[in-house]
Amino acid sequence: MANNKMLVGFFVASESIFFVMLILAYVNFHNSVTDGPTAFNSLDPVRTGIFSLFLLASSFSMWLAGRSLSTKNHLMLKIWILVTIVLGAIFIYGQASEWFGLIDQNITISRNVFGTTFFTLTGFHGFHVCVGLIMLSILLGLALFGDFKGPKSDGVECVSIYWHFVDGVWIVVYSVIYLWAFL
Amino acid sequence: MSTKIPLVPENIKPLPALKENEGMLSWVASVDHKQIGIMYLLASMVFFVIGGIEALVIRIQLAQPEFDFISPEVYNQMFTMHGTTMIFFVVMPFLIGVGVYLVPLMIGARDMAFPRLNALSFWLVIFGGILLYYSFFTQSGASEVGWFAYAPLSEKPFSLNKGPTYWVLGLLAVGISSVASGLNNIVTILTMRIKGMTIRRLPLFVWMILVTSFLLVFVIPVIASAFAMMLLDRLLGATFFTPAHGGSAILWQHFFWGFGHPEVYILILPAFGIISEVIPVFSRKPIFGYEFVAGSTVAIGLLSVGVWAHHMFAVGLGNVANLYFSLASMLIAIPTGVKVLNWVATMWGGKIYFATPMLFAVAFIIEFVMGGLTGVAIASAPIDWVVTDSYFIVAHFHYVLYGGSLFAIFAGVYYWFPKFTGRMMSETLGKWHFWLTIVGFNMTFFIQHFLGVMGMPRRTYTYQDFPYWGSMNLVSTIGALILALSILVFIWNIFVSLRSGKEAGNNPWHAWTLEWATSSPPAVHNFDLVPPVRGRRPLWDLEHPDTPDEPNAKVV
Amino acid sequence: MENLGGIFNPSSPEMEAMAGLTYYIIGISVVILGIIVVAVTYIIIRYRKQHGDNSEPFQNFGDLRLEIVWTLIPIAIVAVLFQLTCSTMRAVDPPIGDHEPDIVVTGHQWWWEIYYPKSGVITANEVHVPVGKNLLLRIESIDVIHDFWVPELARKIDAIPGHPNHIWLSASEAGVYLGACAEFCGTQHANMRIRLIAQTEEEFNEWQKQELVIPQTPRAGLTGKGAQLFQTKACMNCHTILGTPAAARIGPNLTHLNKRQTIGAGVLTNSPENLAKWLADPQKYKQGSLMPNMKLTESEVKAIVAYLEALK
Repeated sequence: MANNKMLVGFFVASESIFFVMLILAYVNFHNSVTDGPTAFNSLDPVRTGIFSLFLLASSFSMWLAGRSLSTKNHLMLKIWILVTIVLGAIFIYGQASEWFGLIDQNITISRNVFGTTFFTLTGFHGFHVCVGLIMLSILLGLALFGDFKGPKSDGVECVSIYWHFVDGVWIVVYSVIYLWAFL
Repeated sequence: MSTKIPLVPENIKPLPALKENEGMLSWVASVDHKQIGIMYLLASMVFFVIGGIEALVIRIQLAQPEFDFISPEVYNQMFTMHGTTMIFFVVMPFLIGVGVYLVPLMIGARDMAFPRLNALSFWLVIFGGILLYYSFFTQSGASEVGWFAYAPLSEKPFSLNKGPTYWVLGLLAVGISSVASGLNNIVTILTMRIKGMTIRRLPLFVWMILVTSFLLVFVIPVIASAFAMMLLDRLLGATFFTPAHGGSAILWQHFFWGFGHPEVYILILPAFGIISEVIPVFSRKPIFGYEFVAGSTVAIGLLSVGVWAHHMFAVGLGNVANLYFSLASMLIAIPTGVKVLNWVATMWGGKIYFATPMLFAVAFIIEFVMGGLTGVAIASAPIDWVVTDSYFIVAHFHYVLYGGSLFAIFAGVYYWFPKFTGRMMSETLGKWHFWLTIVGFNMTFFIQHFLGVMGMPRRTYTYQDFPYWGSMNLVSTIGALILALSILVFIWNIFVSLRSGKEAGNNPWHAWTLEWATSSPPAVHNFDLVPPVRGRRPLWDLEHPDTPDEPNAKVV
Repeated sequence: MENLGGIFNPSSPEMEAMAGLTYYIIGISVVILGIIVVAVTYIIIRYRKQHGDNSEPFQNFGDLRLEIVWTLIPIAIVAVLFQLTCSTMRAVDPPIGDHEPDIVVTGHQWWWEIYYPKSGVITANEVHVPVGKNLLLRIESIDVIHDFWVPELARKIDAIPGHPNHIWLSASEAGVYLGACAEFCGTQHANMRIRLIAQTEEEFNEWQKQELVIPQTPRAGLTGKGAQLFQTKACMNCHTILGTPAAARIGPNLTHLNKRQTIGAGVLTNSPENLAKWLADPQKYKQGSLMPNMKLTESEVKAIVAYLEALK
């Protein structure tokens, strides 16, 4: 049997390098903005921090989904996957509204290097979250049709690895963009 | 014990021929690693001819000073596409493709770990190639900013045409393809080895593919991120690499070469693997110092990610950086040298049989050492300050990429063609191919070392009539024409051998690794029975039960 | 044998140091290559499989001591090479300290702007230097990455927008040294040539004095007509001529064009005939260059040529 979890594990390692490069670009330009919007004068770390808690919580609910799978609790598996999707969607809503707020103030990707690196880094992260939400929805749909009776499922476990990865990336991104500017 | 375990019976269910009903569709829809491998090789060959024509156009334009065979715009497109094609659409697909074919066989497996992912990887290469070459048919033509696309030349407002955008998109497709292949290889090699084949008994070709796969997985994201940033700059007005808006041209170079340097090891390590298979078989001896060849491969893989800025010695990074990168780049020559010495030691005391694969393998050693030595020279920053961006560099990398990777590819083709097709290639045509290559290759590129130190910059569509520049360039162009002839002979050999080559049998070269323990071509399911694996050379152990490689091996 | 140029004619202490290191390393490389070639040649003759001999030779798996020896020897060679690298770097590229640059070179697509901050001279494509003096050059770019390369005199250095670089340059003997842009910078990268003229100190000072002269703008005759056309025909949108309103930097400073040896950054030798040809259609001689065909009539060309040739 192909080792699906090993595949996803190495894939996640590969994507981590991708994010490291985007973060390096952000860090490289962090102090070079002399005028115009910067992280310090444009962002609201508290608001974004609250939405981040939703994403962190979704990792917890996904972990609980994994436990339900291994204890063959099919009902709770479906519920926890649904909760994960809802929490993740709330996070995306928070990101989108933050973006629209910034764009309204003419802080865009082409405005200056802060705009460029901020939107690129948060944008690729948000994209990875959306892909995760799609995969979770597929899992939920299949579960509703009776799949994933447990105690093991490569599908659920692999999506779970990916989802935790997406959450881990956000912890780093949030620290680099929001915490670093304000500390 | 002298009872021989029977080898796989003759192939009774061959791969579907094109002429059969639904033959073409079965190839297009195939997830079988052997069919996918062959498609990779065919695609690689088609792009090789295209890239070669681009090279000939370049050489004809440079045959005389102030020549006007083509305009500067067309010339700049030619060298951009030649480099891009040869790296991403010839050498990489060939090496990945031959790996896809052989790795499952060499480890006694039925297929790769993820056959559908394998097919996706292949078709992404085709898709990427179409995207890239479509740019020639647009109004502004193909990308003309070089395969390295330095910013801000590759950005607005200096590059307003669509060529570089197609270039980035095509390469992103190939990048995804390569990461998928890398992931597939890693899982396959780590989890699907037949019982008895420990990591320490892996054929060296598989070792090289494994290290290369790790490099792919960790290094392609570097260029993917740079490509993403460049696309955002070009399409959405982002400012990553535009100094006029606060961006950094040097950042692009760091990202590009952060990928670009490990990439050249991706291009050579599987080639080393081919040589490590061919030389022992044709010397009738095991590889000398297996652990050192395998270990030095890992060392090269690890070191390769730390030397990228030796491509940037003229950028002005400061002499502390220059000294570090000089030292690291010189150090990476040491594991490579260890490999060469082990190959030579393998040949020593052997019984050398000069079929065409061995001709190319031995020539590889000489040509690659030449390219490697000029590489050590330019690892020294002050020497690089003299010769970088000149024809000396063009000579250096063609010695390692043509004299190195491509010679190993030729050796691999002549070596494994019988296994893939069931027919031998013509030795006569092979020798013609070989000698035309030796003459043509060295004629084209050796003289370029001198042009470089005499002051001829690279990527120039013409040059002034300085003393001997014209005649030296003419010699190089004539060499390129001889190389073109050699390739025609090679392609002719492939066609003729496919139709009427001598029947090969299971193991025409009396080799010892598992791919030779099945029919030629292999059955769809690869093996009926795999010989027991109690050492690095299962077929040697089978033929010499009294002198196996590992006399104390546990019987599995 | 003609002067082969480049590394075969090092004309400065820095270039001699770099050429020396190059010969040394190439020498070592030839020896190493020689050893490999001799070994392989010997092997393929001595250990050739004899016809009909199908026995297997001694199966030698390796030798730890040999591996150690042939790992340590390359490490030693690398150590020597690295030490030579360090000392050459120090000789070629000593620290700038707080020296002010003697010459500021700015790369443009596809010409070189040369500025002497200490005297105020601005010229294009030709760099005059006094012989024997060690000069500090600041290398910049206004658009894309270029590279300043005079093979017989100095190391290469990139001209990067937003990242000025510095090199030391000196010429041991008087003469004309040819160079080129050495970083691909677009369509006419091949025709972005450098002409470095090393002169005695007196000649250099005389040249500087002449370059600083602001010529009188003629008002009458053919040259007067040329001067007028220069203003009205959009030339001033790109070029500078001291003493006139033309002060743009998109194209080269033309004030003392008539003293330069080439035009178009080395594409044509400088002569009234060539200047006329260039003005009639610059795209013919430097296709893709940023100077469009201004669609000048023959008499307009004659007038402008006369004007430029007469500027003193």
